[in-house]
Amino acid sequence: MKVGFLSGTLLLLVNFLVAPSVLAATPEIQIEIRDHLFYPSTVEVPANQKVRLFIINNDPTPEEFESYELNREKVIPGNGKTVIFIGPLPPGEYPFFGEFFPKTAQGKVVAK
Amino acid sequence: MFLSTVILVLQEILEAALLISLLLVLSRLLTRKSRENLVIPLAWLSFSVLFGLGGAWFYAAMTPAVSQWFDYVGLEVVNASIQLFTLAALVVFCFMFSSANRINRPAKLNTLAPVLMCIIVVMGITREVSEIILYMNGVMSNRLNVSPAILGAIMAAGIGVSSGIVLYFLILSMPVIWSYRVCMLLLALFAGNLASQAILLLTQADWLPYTAELWNSSTLIPEYSVTGQLLYALVGYEANPSILQVIFYFSSALLIAFSPLFLLAWRNSQDTNDHDLQENA
Repeated sequence: MKVGFLSGTLLLLVNFLVAPSVLAATPEIQIEIRDHLFYPSTVEVPANQKVRLFIINNDPTPEEFESYELNREKVIPGNGKTVIFIGPLPPGEYPFFGEFFPKTAQGKVVAK
Repeated sequence: MFLSTVILVLQEILEAALLISLLLVLSRLLTRKSRENLVIPLAWLSFSVLFGLGGAWFYAAMTPAVSQWFDYVGLEVVNASIQLFTLAALVVFCFMFSSANRINRPAKLNTLAPVLMCIIVVMGITREVSEIILYMNGVMSNRLNVSPAILGAIMAAGIGVSSGIVLYFLILSMPVIWSYRVCMLLLALFAGNLASQAILLLTQADWLPYTAELWNSSTLIPEYSVTGQLLYALVGYEANPSILQVIFYFSSALLIAFSPLFLLAWRNSQDTNDHDLQENA
């Protein structure tokens, strides 16, 4: 009886520990780079939540995702893919750019 | 293309140039304490640059592969490891100059010091220059960009190296004891920067939990401004650091501040000061 109660409590505890991470699976948002431009250039993400940006570079040249507002910087090889985790962000706009081709590669993350 | 190349290359080169200056000043200052038989050969610099450029070329070639490691966060993990390894080398360097070692084993210090300085600089150059190589390879695939990119890189390299030389002579122009103190203070902050950057990278890779932003001074000193960039290269300035970054920045800086090499700059100041000033005169 006691053992049953204990294991029941333990199970409940494990549930509490595991459940939030399962429920709040990190949302993924895809961004593509083509001809030194970001598609989409405005990326909407849920506010106050960690987000996984999956970036696909379709150009043969490398690019560097950079954002002072997001405090992020990462090289994406030519014809390569990469992942950048951002947030949780308060609602607002966070500009980013491609540091290797800053004139064209520009965009912003909008946290709502 | 010319201007963006200057900015990008300068950003990468400045940190390494300033670091090399600090270590050069330190080599000179330590060697000057001749009564302790410390003679740090300056040959470490040429080896560092050579191995650093080799490392940069290798890392640039490996970037597409590394990028895919650990579910696409390989670059963060490897870069953070490089930062932490550099930090470890710096900590060993600062702690090995205990008074016992300086008196009993100066020969050992004379060999180990240049090796550790070499490791610290090689890691820096590898990380920074590999990005320049990737960038130059990328932009120069368009023929129109070749000459502005090369000119921009040469100009940036010139500004970067000049800044290093200015810092070198600026520190050496101070009274010896103050050269030493400023040098060690900047080295402690450099250690803080290494730790803070490693934390930032591992947070970006989701290997470390998110911690809130501690402050935001981006309106006061934007990171992209000239002051911001200089402060970043010199003391690791960041406009919006996370709590974890700040904790690790200051604990690493403090660790260096409690090392024998750092304390030596404050202890026996009168003694060291007089001795060195006389020698200098």
